[in-house]
Amino acid sequence: MSEIIEKRIGRYETLLKEMWTASSKYLGTFSVNLLVERVVWEVSLEYKEIELLQYDQNGISCAKMAARLEENPDLPVEDMFMKFITRYVEILARLLGYERAEEIKKKLDEEFAGDLSASREE
Amino acid sequence: MHTNLLLSVPVRYWQDFQDTLARATNANIYIFDANGAPFSRFSLPAELCQEVNKGRELRNEKCIDFYKLACGSLEEKDMLTCPYGLKLCAYRLGSYAQRIGYLMVAPSRHTTLGEREEEIAFITKAHNIYRTINEVFSAILEKNLLGLRRLELNSIYEISRLMTSIVELDRVLELITNSLIIIYQADLCFVGLREGDKIRVAQGKGVNGSQLIGKEWPLVHPLIERIFSKVEPSSLSIEELRVLPGFTGTEAAPGTEIMVYPLWTALGIVGLLGIAAPVSLGDNGSKNLQIYINFATVALANATLIRRLEREAETDYLTGFLNRRVLRDVLAAELQRAARYGYHLSVIFLDIDDFKAYNDTFGHLAGDVVLQKTAELIKNSIRTTDIACRYGGEEFIIILPGTKGGDAAKVAERIRKSIETYPFPHRRITASLGVAQAKKNDSVDSLLARADQACYQAKERGKNHLCLDPS
Repeated sequence: MSEIIEKRIGRYETLLKEMWTASSKYLGTFSVNLLVERVVWEVSLEYKEIELLQYDQNGISCAKMAARLEENPDLPVEDMFMKFITRYVEILARLLGYERAEEIKKKLDEEFAGDLSASREE
Repeated sequence: MHTNLLLSVPVRYWQDFQDTLARATNANIYIFDANGAPFSRFSLPAELCQEVNKGRELRNEKCIDFYKLACGSLEEKDMLTCPYGLKLCAYRLGSYAQRIGYLMVAPSRHTTLGEREEEIAFITKAHNIYRTINEVFSAILEKNLLGLRRLELNSIYEISRLMTSIVELDRVLELITNSLIIIYQADLCFVGLREGDKIRVAQGKGVNGSQLIGKEWPLVHPLIERIFSKVEPSSLSIEELRVLPGFTGTEAAPGTEIMVYPLWTALGIVGLLGIAAPVSLGDNGSKNLQIYINFATVALANATLIRRLEREAETDYLTGFLNRRVLRDVLAAELQRAARYGYHLSVIFLDIDDFKAYNDTFGHLAGDVVLQKTAELIKNSIRTTDIACRYGGEEFIIILPGTKGGDAAKVAERIRKSIETYPFPHRRITASLGVAQAKKNDSVDSLLARADQACYQAKERGKNHLCLDPS
Protein backbone atom coordinates (compact mmCIF):
# COMPACT_ATOMS: atom_id res chain seq x y z
CA MET A 1 0.00 0.00 0.00
CA SER A 2 1.40 3.40 -0.90
CA GLU A 3 2.37 5.59 1.99
CA ILE A 4 0.10 8.45 0.92
CA ILE A 5 -3.00 6.25 0.78
CA GLU A 6 -2.11 4.63 4.07
CA LYS A 7 -1.72 8.07 5.65
CA ARG A 8 -4.91 9.40 4.08
CA ILE A 9 -7.06 6.52 5.31
CA GLY A 10 -5.19 6.30 8.60
CA ARG A 11 -6.31 9.79 9.58
CA TYR A 12 -9.95 9.01 8.92
CA GLU A 13 -9.65 5.73 10.74
CA THR A 14 -8.27 7.51 13.80
CA LEU A 15 -11.08 10.07 13.58
CA LEU A 16 -13.76 7.39 13.33
CA LYS A 17 -12.23 5.45 16.21
CA GLU A 18 -12.27 8.61 18.34
CA MET A 19 -15.91 9.16 17.41
CA TRP A 20 -16.68 5.55 18.27
CA THR A 21 -15.01 5.78 21.67
CA ALA A 22 -16.54 9.15 22.55
CA SER A 23 -20.06 8.05 21.57
CA SER A 24 -19.93 4.60 23.16
CA LYS A 25 -19.05 6.25 26.46
CA TYR A 26 -22.53 7.77 26.47
CA LEU A 27 -24.55 5.34 24.36
CA GLY A 28 -22.98 1.92 24.86
CA THR A 29 -21.50 -0.23 22.10
CA PHE A 30 -24.80 -1.71 20.95
CA SER A 31 -26.34 1.67 20.13
CA VAL A 32 -23.13 2.93 18.52
CA ASN A 33 -22.98 -0.19 16.34
CA LEU A 34 -26.57 0.38 15.27
CA LEU A 35 -25.85 4.05 14.59
CA VAL A 36 -22.87 3.17 12.36
CA GLU A 37 -24.97 0.56 10.53
CA ARG A 38 -27.70 3.17 9.95
CA VAL A 39 -25.30 5.81 8.62
CA VAL A 40 -23.40 3.29 6.47
CA TRP A 41 -26.67 2.27 4.84
CA GLU A 42 -27.63 5.86 4.19
CA VAL A 43 -24.24 6.92 2.81
CA SER A 44 -24.04 3.72 0.72
CA LEU A 45 -26.98 4.98 -1.36
CA GLU A 46 -24.49 7.47 -2.79
CA TYR A 47 -21.11 5.90 -2.06
CA LYS A 48 -21.20 2.13 -2.27
CA GLU A 49 -17.61 1.94 -0.98
CA ILE A 50 -18.67 2.97 2.54
CA GLU A 51 -19.88 -0.62 2.91
CA LEU A 52 -16.20 -1.58 3.10
CA LEU A 53 -16.09 0.02 6.52
CA GLN A 54 -15.72 -2.78 9.06
CA TYR A 55 -17.38 -2.41 12.43
CA ASP A 56 -18.54 -4.58 15.29
CA GLN A 57 -18.90 -4.40 19.06
CA ASN A 58 -15.12 -3.94 19.36
CA GLY A 59 -14.73 -0.92 17.14
CA ILE A 60 -14.26 0.31 13.60
CA SER A 61 -11.64 -0.36 10.91
CA CYS A 62 -10.86 1.08 7.45
CA ALA A 63 -8.52 -1.73 6.31
CA LYS A 64 -10.75 -2.91 3.43
CA MET A 65 -11.41 0.67 2.41
CA ALA A 66 -7.67 1.30 2.19
CA ALA A 67 -7.24 -1.72 -0.09
CA ARG A 68 -10.02 -0.42 -2.35
CA LEU A 69 -8.41 3.01 -2.46
CA GLU A 70 -5.20 1.35 -3.59
CA GLU A 71 -7.08 -0.05 -6.60
CA ASN A 72 -9.05 3.13 -7.25
CA PRO A 73 -7.19 6.23 -6.06
CA ASP A 74 -9.92 8.49 -7.52
CA LEU A 75 -12.38 7.35 -4.90
CA PRO A 76 -13.96 10.50 -3.36
CA VAL A 77 -12.87 9.50 0.14
CA GLU A 78 -13.10 13.01 1.58
CA ASP A 79 -16.68 13.58 0.41
CA MET A 80 -17.72 10.14 1.54
CA PHE A 81 -16.26 10.46 5.04
CA MET A 82 -17.53 14.00 5.46
CA LYS A 83 -21.03 12.86 4.59
CA PHE A 84 -20.66 9.95 7.00
CA ILE A 85 -19.43 12.15 9.84
CA THR A 86 -22.10 14.81 9.25
CA ARG A 87 -24.95 12.29 9.35
CA TYR A 88 -23.41 10.51 12.32
CA VAL A 89 -23.21 13.73 14.34
CA GLU A 90 -26.75 14.74 13.31
CA ILE A 91 -28.25 11.55 14.72
CA LEU A 92 -25.90 11.66 17.70
CA ALA A 93 -27.29 15.10 18.55
CA ARG A 94 -30.79 13.63 18.81
CA LEU A 95 -29.54 10.90 21.11
CA LEU A 96 -27.33 12.94 23.40
CA GLY A 97 -28.77 16.41 23.04
CA TYR A 98 -27.19 19.07 20.88
CA GLU A 99 -24.90 20.39 23.61
CA ARG A 100 -23.12 17.10 24.28
CA ALA A 101 -22.94 16.26 20.57
CA GLU A 102 -21.42 19.68 19.92
CA GLU A 103 -18.87 18.98 22.65
CA ILE A 104 -17.82 15.78 20.89
CA LYS A 105 -17.77 17.50 17.50
CA LYS A 106 -15.72 20.39 18.86
CA LYS A 107 -13.24 18.03 20.47
CA LEU A 108 -12.84 16.11 17.20
CA ASP A 109 -12.54 19.35 15.22
CA GLU A 110 -9.77 20.54 17.52
CA GLU A 111 -7.90 17.27 17.32
CA PHE A 112 -8.30 16.61 13.62
CA ALA A 113 -8.93 19.90 11.83
CA GLY A 114 -5.22 20.30 11.07
CA ASP A 115 -4.82 16.74 9.85
CA LEU A 116 -7.93 16.85 7.70
CA SER A 117 -6.87 20.09 6.05
CA ALA A 118 -3.44 18.59 5.42
CA SER A 119 -4.97 15.51 3.82
CA ARG A 120 -6.95 17.70 1.44
CA GLU A 121 -3.83 19.63 0.44
CA GLU A 122 -1.87 16.51 -0.53
CA MET B 1 -32.91 14.21 2.99
CA HIS B 2 -35.98 14.09 0.82
CA THR B 3 -39.43 14.19 2.31
CA ASN B 4 -39.78 10.66 1.08
CA LEU B 5 -37.11 8.93 3.14
CA LEU B 6 -36.84 6.05 0.74
CA LEU B 7 -36.20 8.07 -2.40
CA SER B 8 -32.64 8.83 -1.47
CA VAL B 9 -31.07 9.14 -4.91
CA PRO B 10 -27.74 10.90 -5.42
CA VAL B 11 -28.65 13.69 -7.83
CA ARG B 12 -25.30 13.75 -9.62
CA TYR B 13 -25.58 10.07 -10.59
CA TRP B 14 -29.19 10.55 -11.52
CA GLN B 15 -28.41 13.58 -13.69
CA ASP B 16 -25.93 11.54 -15.76
CA PHE B 17 -28.56 8.88 -16.38
CA GLN B 18 -31.27 11.42 -17.15
CA ASP B 19 -29.05 13.39 -19.55
CA THR B 20 -28.09 10.23 -21.44
CA LEU B 21 -31.73 9.27 -21.77
CA ALA B 22 -32.59 12.81 -22.95
CA ARG B 23 -29.88 12.74 -25.62
CA ALA B 24 -30.95 9.28 -26.80
CA THR B 25 -34.59 10.28 -27.11
CA ASN B 26 -33.92 13.85 -28.21
CA ALA B 27 -36.29 15.25 -25.57
CA ASN B 28 -35.80 17.48 -22.59
CA ILE B 29 -36.37 15.96 -19.15
CA TYR B 30 -36.90 17.63 -15.82
CA ILE B 31 -37.89 16.09 -12.46
CA PHE B 32 -39.51 17.56 -9.36
CA ASP B 33 -39.70 15.93 -5.95
CA ALA B 34 -42.91 15.00 -4.16
CA ASN B 35 -43.28 18.59 -2.87
CA GLY B 36 -42.90 20.11 -6.32
CA ALA B 37 -39.37 21.39 -5.64
CA PRO B 38 -36.74 20.90 -8.39
CA PHE B 39 -34.89 17.56 -8.10
CA SER B 40 -32.82 17.47 -11.31
CA ARG B 41 -32.01 20.03 -14.00
CA PHE B 42 -33.23 20.19 -17.60
CA SER B 43 -31.17 17.69 -19.50
CA LEU B 44 -30.88 19.73 -22.68
CA PRO B 45 -30.70 23.50 -23.03
CA ALA B 46 -34.10 24.53 -24.31
CA GLU B 47 -33.55 27.67 -26.32
CA LEU B 48 -36.37 29.60 -24.75
CA CYS B 49 -35.54 28.44 -21.24
CA GLN B 50 -31.92 29.38 -21.75
CA GLU B 51 -32.95 32.79 -22.90
CA VAL B 52 -35.28 33.33 -19.97
CA ASN B 53 -33.26 31.69 -17.25
CA LYS B 54 -29.73 32.50 -18.37
CA GLY B 55 -28.62 28.89 -18.09
CA ARG B 56 -29.98 25.42 -17.48
CA GLU B 57 -31.42 25.95 -14.03
CA LEU B 58 -34.88 27.21 -13.33
CA ARG B 59 -34.37 30.63 -11.89
CA ASN B 60 -37.37 32.48 -13.11
CA GLU B 61 -39.97 32.82 -10.34
CA LYS B 62 -42.72 32.63 -12.94
CA CYS B 63 -41.46 29.18 -14.04
CA ILE B 64 -40.99 27.86 -10.50
CA ASP B 65 -44.49 28.95 -9.48
CA PHE B 66 -45.92 27.40 -12.64
CA TYR B 67 -44.24 24.02 -12.05
CA LYS B 68 -45.11 23.95 -8.36
CA LEU B 69 -48.73 24.66 -9.15
CA ALA B 70 -48.75 22.13 -12.00
CA CYS B 71 -47.24 19.40 -9.76
CA GLY B 72 -49.72 20.15 -6.99
CA SER B 73 -52.75 19.76 -9.21
CA LEU B 74 -51.49 16.88 -11.39
CA GLU B 75 -53.46 13.69 -10.92
CA GLU B 76 -51.69 11.22 -13.18
CA LYS B 77 -50.59 12.87 -16.42
CA ASP B 78 -51.37 16.01 -18.36
CA MET B 79 -50.29 18.11 -21.31
CA LEU B 80 -49.20 21.57 -20.16
CA THR B 81 -48.00 24.81 -21.70
CA CYS B 82 -45.40 26.75 -19.70
CA PRO B 83 -45.68 30.55 -19.19
CA TYR B 84 -43.34 31.03 -22.18
CA GLY B 85 -45.38 28.87 -24.51
CA LEU B 86 -43.31 25.66 -24.25
CA LYS B 87 -45.54 22.57 -24.53
CA LEU B 88 -44.69 19.69 -22.26
CA CYS B 89 -45.98 16.38 -20.96
CA ALA B 90 -46.29 16.08 -17.17
CA TYR B 91 -46.47 12.77 -15.27
CA ARG B 92 -46.81 11.78 -11.65
CA LEU B 93 -44.03 9.37 -10.61
CA GLY B 94 -44.52 6.49 -8.20
CA SER B 95 -47.46 4.26 -7.47
CA TYR B 96 -51.03 5.01 -6.47
CA ALA B 97 -50.05 4.35 -2.87
CA GLN B 98 -46.78 6.26 -2.86
CA ARG B 99 -46.07 9.46 -4.73
CA ILE B 100 -42.37 9.88 -5.51
CA GLY B 101 -42.28 13.05 -7.61
CA TYR B 102 -43.14 14.53 -11.00
CA LEU B 103 -41.66 14.25 -14.46
CA MET B 104 -41.78 16.94 -17.15
CA VAL B 105 -40.85 16.03 -20.70
CA ALA B 106 -40.46 18.84 -23.24
CA PRO B 107 -39.30 18.90 -26.88
CA SER B 108 -35.59 19.56 -27.21
CA ARG B 109 -36.26 22.58 -29.41
CA HIS B 110 -38.78 25.34 -28.95
CA THR B 111 -41.90 24.19 -30.74
CA THR B 112 -45.59 24.71 -30.27
CA LEU B 113 -46.25 21.14 -31.52
CA GLY B 114 -48.66 22.61 -34.03
CA GLU B 115 -48.90 19.54 -36.26
CA ARG B 116 -51.12 16.76 -34.95
CA GLU B 117 -48.73 14.02 -36.05
CA GLU B 118 -45.81 15.81 -34.47
CA GLU B 119 -47.75 16.06 -31.22
CA ILE B 120 -48.73 12.36 -31.20
CA ALA B 121 -45.11 11.35 -31.84
CA PHE B 122 -43.95 13.55 -28.98
CA ILE B 123 -46.59 12.22 -26.55
CA THR B 124 -45.59 8.62 -27.40
CA LYS B 125 -41.95 9.46 -26.82
CA ALA B 126 -42.76 11.24 -23.55
CA HIS B 127 -44.80 8.27 -22.37
CA ASN B 128 -41.92 5.88 -23.06
CA ILE B 129 -39.58 8.16 -21.15
CA TYR B 130 -42.06 8.24 -18.27
CA ARG B 131 -42.28 4.42 -18.17
CA THR B 132 -38.50 4.06 -18.18
CA ILE B 133 -37.95 6.65 -15.46
CA ASN B 134 -40.79 5.37 -13.33
CA GLU B 135 -39.38 1.83 -13.53
CA VAL B 136 -35.92 3.03 -12.53
CA PHE B 137 -37.30 5.03 -9.61
CA SER B 138 -39.43 2.09 -8.49
CA ALA B 139 -36.37 -0.16 -8.55
CA ILE B 140 -34.36 2.36 -6.53
CA LEU B 141 -37.23 2.71 -4.10
CA GLU B 142 -37.51 -1.05 -3.75
CA LYS B 143 -33.79 -1.38 -3.17
CA ASN B 144 -33.75 1.39 -0.56
CA LEU B 145 -36.80 -0.08 1.10
CA LEU B 146 -35.12 -3.47 1.31
CA GLY B 147 -32.07 -1.81 2.87
CA LEU B 148 -34.23 -0.14 5.50
CA ARG B 149 -36.15 -3.35 6.20
CA ARG B 150 -32.87 -5.24 6.59
CA LEU B 151 -31.74 -2.60 9.07
CA GLU B 152 -35.03 -2.84 10.96
CA LEU B 153 -34.96 -6.64 11.10
CA ASN B 154 -31.29 -6.73 12.15
CA SER B 155 -32.12 -4.33 14.87
CA ILE B 156 -35.19 -6.29 16.02
CA TYR B 157 -33.07 -9.44 16.09
CA GLU B 158 -30.29 -7.78 18.08
CA ILE B 159 -32.65 -6.03 20.45
CA SER B 160 -34.67 -9.18 21.13
CA ARG B 161 -31.44 -11.00 21.92
CA LEU B 162 -30.26 -8.23 24.23
CA MET B 163 -33.58 -7.72 25.91
CA THR B 164 -33.68 -11.28 27.12
CA SER B 165 -30.37 -10.71 28.88
CA ILE B 166 -30.86 -7.21 30.30
CA VAL B 167 -33.02 -6.61 33.34
CA GLU B 168 -31.85 -3.17 34.45
CA LEU B 169 -34.74 -0.80 33.69
CA ASP B 170 -32.53 2.19 32.85
CA ARG B 171 -30.58 0.18 30.27
CA VAL B 172 -33.73 -1.21 28.69
CA LEU B 173 -35.20 2.31 28.39
CA GLU B 174 -31.96 3.62 26.91
CA LEU B 175 -31.78 0.81 24.37
CA ILE B 176 -35.36 1.24 23.22
CA THR B 177 -35.24 5.00 22.72
CA ASN B 178 -31.77 4.98 21.13
CA SER B 179 -32.69 2.25 18.66
CA LEU B 180 -35.91 3.92 17.55
CA ILE B 181 -34.22 7.27 17.01
CA ILE B 182 -31.41 5.65 15.04
CA ILE B 183 -33.53 3.40 12.83
CA TYR B 184 -36.43 5.72 12.09
CA GLN B 185 -34.59 9.05 12.36
CA ALA B 186 -37.20 9.97 14.92
CA ASP B 187 -37.22 13.57 16.08
CA LEU B 188 -38.58 12.48 19.43
CA CYS B 189 -39.05 9.24 21.30
CA PHE B 190 -40.43 8.85 24.82
CA VAL B 191 -41.45 6.02 27.13
CA GLY B 192 -43.89 6.45 29.99
CA LEU B 193 -44.34 3.75 32.62
CA ARG B 194 -47.43 3.07 34.66
CA GLU B 195 -47.10 4.01 38.31
CA GLY B 196 -50.43 3.33 40.03
CA ASP B 197 -53.08 5.55 38.49
CA LYS B 198 -50.73 7.58 36.30
CA ILE B 199 -48.14 7.34 33.55
CA ARG B 200 -44.73 8.75 34.45
CA VAL B 201 -42.31 9.55 31.62
CA ALA B 202 -39.19 7.50 32.36
CA GLN B 203 -37.16 8.31 29.26
CA GLY B 204 -37.31 10.90 26.51
CA LYS B 205 -34.83 11.56 23.70
CA GLY B 206 -34.66 13.86 20.72
CA VAL B 207 -36.16 17.32 20.40
CA ASN B 208 -37.34 18.42 23.89
CA GLY B 209 -37.18 14.76 24.98
CA SER B 210 -35.37 15.50 28.22
CA GLN B 211 -38.10 18.00 29.18
CA LEU B 212 -40.63 15.18 29.26
CA ILE B 213 -38.75 13.02 31.76
CA GLY B 214 -40.53 12.89 35.11
CA LYS B 215 -43.78 14.35 33.78
CA GLU B 216 -46.91 12.59 35.01
CA TRP B 217 -50.09 11.98 33.04
CA PRO B 218 -53.12 10.59 34.90
CA LEU B 219 -54.67 7.48 33.39
CA VAL B 220 -58.04 9.24 33.56
CA HIS B 221 -56.80 12.09 31.35
CA PRO B 222 -59.05 12.05 28.24
CA LEU B 223 -56.11 11.73 25.85
CA ILE B 224 -54.44 8.94 27.86
CA GLU B 225 -57.80 7.19 28.14
CA ARG B 226 -58.12 7.44 24.36
CA ILE B 227 -54.67 5.90 23.84
CA PHE B 228 -55.44 2.97 26.13
CA SER B 229 -58.94 2.46 24.77
CA LYS B 230 -57.47 0.29 22.00
CA VAL B 231 -54.59 -2.08 21.32
CA GLU B 232 -53.43 -0.31 18.13
CA PRO B 233 -51.26 2.82 18.21
CA SER B 234 -52.86 6.27 18.06
CA SER B 235 -51.77 8.77 15.44
CA LEU B 236 -51.77 12.16 17.17
CA SER B 237 -51.01 15.71 16.13
CA ILE B 238 -48.72 17.92 18.16
CA GLU B 239 -51.72 20.13 18.95
CA GLU B 240 -53.48 17.15 20.56
CA LEU B 241 -50.40 16.26 22.60
CA ARG B 242 -50.00 19.81 23.90
CA VAL B 243 -52.72 19.17 26.48
CA LEU B 244 -50.27 16.89 28.33
CA PRO B 245 -47.71 18.36 30.76
CA GLY B 246 -44.29 18.56 29.09
CA PHE B 247 -45.57 19.18 25.57
CA THR B 248 -46.52 22.83 26.04
CA GLY B 249 -44.63 24.85 23.47
CA THR B 250 -43.30 21.78 21.62
CA GLU B 251 -43.23 22.23 17.85
CA ALA B 252 -43.17 19.57 15.15
CA ALA B 253 -42.01 19.91 11.56
CA PRO B 254 -44.78 19.76 8.95
CA GLY B 255 -45.50 16.18 7.92
CA THR B 256 -44.22 14.72 11.18
CA GLU B 257 -46.17 11.64 12.17
CA ILE B 258 -46.56 11.15 15.92
CA MET B 259 -47.54 7.63 16.92
CA VAL B 260 -48.28 6.71 20.52
CA TYR B 261 -48.28 2.98 21.30
CA PRO B 262 -50.10 1.66 24.36
CA LEU B 263 -47.85 -0.97 25.97
CA TRP B 264 -49.91 -3.93 27.11
CA THR B 265 -49.09 -7.35 28.44
CA ALA B 266 -51.44 -10.07 29.65
CA LEU B 267 -51.11 -8.53 33.13
CA GLY B 268 -52.35 -5.10 32.05
CA ILE B 269 -50.93 -1.68 31.17
CA VAL B 270 -47.13 -1.38 31.27
CA GLY B 271 -46.94 2.14 29.90
CA LEU B 272 -46.84 3.93 26.57
CA LEU B 273 -44.29 4.70 23.89
CA GLY B 274 -44.35 7.73 21.62
CA ILE B 275 -42.36 8.25 18.44
CA ALA B 276 -42.36 11.31 16.18
CA ALA B 277 -40.90 10.43 12.79
CA PRO B 278 -40.47 12.79 9.84
CA VAL B 279 -41.94 10.29 7.38
CA SER B 280 -44.74 7.81 7.21
CA LEU B 281 -43.48 4.28 7.83
CA GLY B 282 -45.86 2.55 5.46
CA ASP B 283 -47.61 -0.76 6.13
CA ASN B 284 -44.53 -2.98 6.41
CA GLY B 285 -42.62 -0.40 8.40
CA SER B 286 -45.50 -0.10 10.85
CA LYS B 287 -45.66 -3.88 11.22
CA ASN B 288 -41.91 -4.09 11.90
CA LEU B 289 -42.21 -1.29 14.42
CA GLN B 290 -45.10 -3.10 16.10
CA ILE B 291 -42.94 -6.25 16.41
CA TYR B 292 -40.23 -4.10 17.95
CA ILE B 293 -42.72 -2.50 20.34
CA ASN B 294 -43.97 -5.94 21.41
CA PHE B 295 -40.44 -6.99 22.36
CA ALA B 296 -39.90 -3.66 24.08
CA THR B 297 -43.11 -4.09 26.09
CA VAL B 298 -42.09 -7.50 27.42
CA ALA B 299 -38.60 -6.21 28.25
CA LEU B 300 -40.05 -3.17 30.04
CA ALA B 301 -42.56 -5.31 31.94
CA ASN B 302 -39.79 -7.67 33.09
CA ALA B 303 -37.43 -4.87 34.05
CA THR B 304 -40.18 -2.97 35.90
CA LEU B 305 -41.20 -6.08 37.80
CA ILE B 306 -37.63 -6.88 38.76
CA ARG B 307 -37.01 -3.33 39.94
CA ARG B 308 -40.16 -3.44 42.05
CA LEU B 309 -39.16 -6.77 43.57
CA GLU B 310 -35.67 -5.46 44.30
CA ARG B 311 -37.08 -2.35 45.96
CA GLU B 312 -39.57 -4.35 47.97
CA ALA B 313 -36.84 -6.73 49.07
CA GLU B 314 -34.81 -3.79 50.34
CA THR B 315 -37.57 -1.76 51.94
CA ASP B 316 -39.49 -2.15 55.17
CA TYR B 317 -43.16 -2.19 54.18
CA LEU B 318 -44.41 -0.33 57.25
CA THR B 319 -41.97 2.58 57.43
CA GLY B 320 -40.51 2.82 53.91
CA PHE B 321 -37.00 2.68 55.43
CA LEU B 322 -34.33 0.22 54.30
CA ASN B 323 -34.71 -3.12 56.04
CA ARG B 324 -32.20 -5.09 58.07
CA ARG B 325 -31.28 -7.23 55.04
CA VAL B 326 -29.64 -4.35 53.19
CA LEU B 327 -28.44 -2.45 56.27
CA ARG B 328 -25.25 -4.50 56.48
CA ASP B 329 -24.38 -3.91 52.80
CA VAL B 330 -25.09 -0.19 53.01
CA LEU B 331 -23.15 0.25 56.24
CA ALA B 332 -20.21 -1.78 54.87
CA ALA B 333 -20.12 0.44 51.77
CA GLU B 334 -20.26 3.61 53.89
CA LEU B 335 -17.47 2.33 56.16
CA GLN B 336 -15.32 1.62 53.11
CA ARG B 337 -16.01 5.04 51.64
CA ALA B 338 -15.26 6.78 54.94
CA ALA B 339 -11.96 4.90 55.22
CA ARG B 340 -10.99 5.65 51.61
CA TYR B 341 -11.81 9.36 51.66
CA GLY B 342 -10.95 9.89 55.32
CA TYR B 343 -14.22 11.33 56.51
CA HIS B 344 -16.17 10.64 59.70
CA LEU B 345 -19.10 8.29 60.01
CA SER B 346 -21.50 7.85 62.91
CA VAL B 347 -24.38 5.57 63.71
CA ILE B 348 -27.44 6.09 65.93
CA PHE B 349 -29.20 3.10 67.46
CA LEU B 350 -32.78 3.96 68.49
CA ASP B 351 -35.09 1.79 70.56
CA ILE B 352 -38.67 2.82 71.43
CA ASP B 353 -39.16 2.54 75.20
CA ASP B 354 -41.72 0.03 76.53
CA PHE B 355 -43.07 -0.66 73.06
CA LYS B 356 -44.10 -4.23 73.91
CA ALA B 357 -46.36 -2.96 76.69
CA TYR B 358 -47.89 -0.40 74.30
CA ASN B 359 -48.55 -3.13 71.76
CA ASP B 360 -50.03 -5.50 74.34
CA THR B 361 -52.27 -2.78 75.80
CA PHE B 362 -53.48 -0.93 72.70
CA GLY B 363 -53.12 -3.57 70.02
CA HIS B 364 -50.79 -4.14 67.08
CA LEU B 365 -52.52 -1.67 64.82
CA ALA B 366 -51.89 1.10 67.33
CA GLY B 367 -48.29 -0.15 67.59
CA ASP B 368 -47.91 0.11 63.82
CA VAL B 369 -49.07 3.73 63.94
CA VAL B 370 -46.35 4.48 66.54
CA LEU B 371 -43.70 2.86 64.34
CA GLN B 372 -44.85 4.78 61.26
CA LYS B 373 -44.98 8.10 63.10
CA THR B 374 -41.57 7.50 64.72
CA ALA B 375 -40.12 6.80 61.26
CA GLU B 376 -41.62 10.06 60.01
CA LEU B 377 -40.14 11.99 62.95
CA ILE B 378 -36.72 10.43 62.28
CA LYS B 379 -36.96 11.28 58.58
CA ASN B 380 -37.81 14.90 59.41
CA SER B 381 -34.80 15.18 61.73
CA ILE B 382 -32.06 13.92 59.39
CA ARG B 383 -30.47 15.06 56.11
CA THR B 384 -31.28 13.49 52.75
CA THR B 385 -27.76 12.06 52.69
CA ASP B 386 -28.33 10.21 55.98
CA ILE B 387 -29.67 6.66 55.75
CA ALA B 388 -32.40 5.34 58.05
CA CYS B 389 -33.16 1.62 58.47
CA ARG B 390 -35.63 -0.38 60.49
CA TYR B 391 -33.43 -2.82 62.36
CA GLY B 392 -35.99 -4.92 64.15
CA GLY B 393 -39.43 -4.62 65.79
CA GLU B 394 -39.06 -1.21 67.45
CA GLU B 395 -35.38 -0.60 66.69
CA PHE B 396 -34.05 1.83 64.12
CA ILE B 397 -30.52 2.51 62.87
CA ILE B 398 -29.52 5.83 61.37
CA ILE B 399 -26.25 6.08 59.42
CA LEU B 400 -24.77 9.58 59.24
CA PRO B 401 -21.95 9.86 56.68
CA GLY B 402 -19.48 12.72 57.21
CA THR B 403 -20.62 13.25 60.81
CA LYS B 404 -18.58 13.16 64.02
CA GLY B 405 -19.94 11.43 67.12
CA GLY B 406 -20.68 14.74 68.88
CA ASP B 407 -22.68 16.07 65.95
CA ALA B 408 -24.51 12.76 65.62
CA ALA B 409 -25.45 13.08 69.31
CA LYS B 410 -27.06 16.45 68.53
CA VAL B 411 -29.12 14.80 65.77
CA ALA B 412 -30.05 11.98 68.18
CA GLU B 413 -31.15 14.51 70.79
CA ARG B 414 -33.31 16.26 68.18
CA ILE B 415 -34.97 12.95 67.36
CA ARG B 416 -35.45 12.06 71.02
CA LYS B 417 -37.14 15.39 71.73
CA SER B 418 -39.39 15.21 68.68
CA ILE B 419 -40.62 11.75 69.79
CA GLU B 420 -41.05 12.81 73.38
CA THR B 421 -43.13 15.83 72.45
CA TYR B 422 -45.23 14.26 69.71
CA PRO B 423 -48.85 13.61 70.80
CA PHE B 424 -49.05 9.86 70.08
CA PRO B 425 -52.46 8.27 70.66
CA HIS B 426 -53.20 6.72 74.10
CA ARG B 427 -50.00 7.74 75.88
CA ARG B 428 -46.64 9.47 75.65
CA ILE B 429 -43.91 7.63 73.71
CA THR B 430 -40.19 7.97 74.36
CA ALA B 431 -37.08 6.42 72.89
CA SER B 432 -33.56 5.60 74.05
CA LEU B 433 -30.69 6.28 71.69
CA GLY B 434 -27.06 5.18 71.47
CA VAL B 435 -24.53 6.97 69.30
CA ALA B 436 -21.19 5.60 68.08
CA GLN B 437 -18.57 7.09 65.79
CA ALA B 438 -16.76 4.72 63.43
CA LYS B 439 -13.15 4.00 64.31
CA LYS B 440 -10.33 2.93 62.06
CA ASN B 441 -10.69 -0.78 61.23
CA ASP B 442 -14.27 -0.84 62.55
CA SER B 443 -16.44 -3.56 61.02
CA VAL B 444 -20.20 -3.44 60.59
CA ASP B 445 -20.62 -5.70 63.63
CA SER B 446 -18.21 -3.81 65.90
CA LEU B 447 -19.74 -0.43 65.07
CA LEU B 448 -23.31 -1.63 65.54
CA ALA B 449 -22.33 -3.40 68.77
CA ARG B 450 -20.94 -0.14 70.24
CA ALA B 451 -24.05 1.83 69.19
CA ASP B 452 -26.23 -0.91 70.69
CA GLN B 453 -24.20 -0.84 73.88
CA ALA B 454 -24.62 2.95 74.12
CA CYS B 455 -28.38 2.52 73.63
CA TYR B 456 -28.40 -0.08 76.41
CA GLN B 457 -26.68 2.42 78.70
CA ALA B 458 -29.35 5.01 77.83
CA LYS B 459 -31.98 2.48 78.91
CA GLU B 460 -30.02 1.85 82.10
CA ARG B 461 -30.16 5.56 82.87
CA GLY B 462 -33.93 5.38 83.02
CA LYS B 463 -34.91 5.47 79.33
CA ASN B 464 -35.73 8.54 77.20
CA HIS B 465 -32.00 9.27 77.20
CA LEU B 466 -29.17 9.21 74.74
CA CYS B 467 -25.62 8.01 75.28
CA LEU B 468 -22.54 8.60 73.19
CA ASP B 469 -20.15 5.67 73.00
CA PRO B 470 -17.05 6.87 74.87
CA SER B 471 -14.47 4.69 73.07
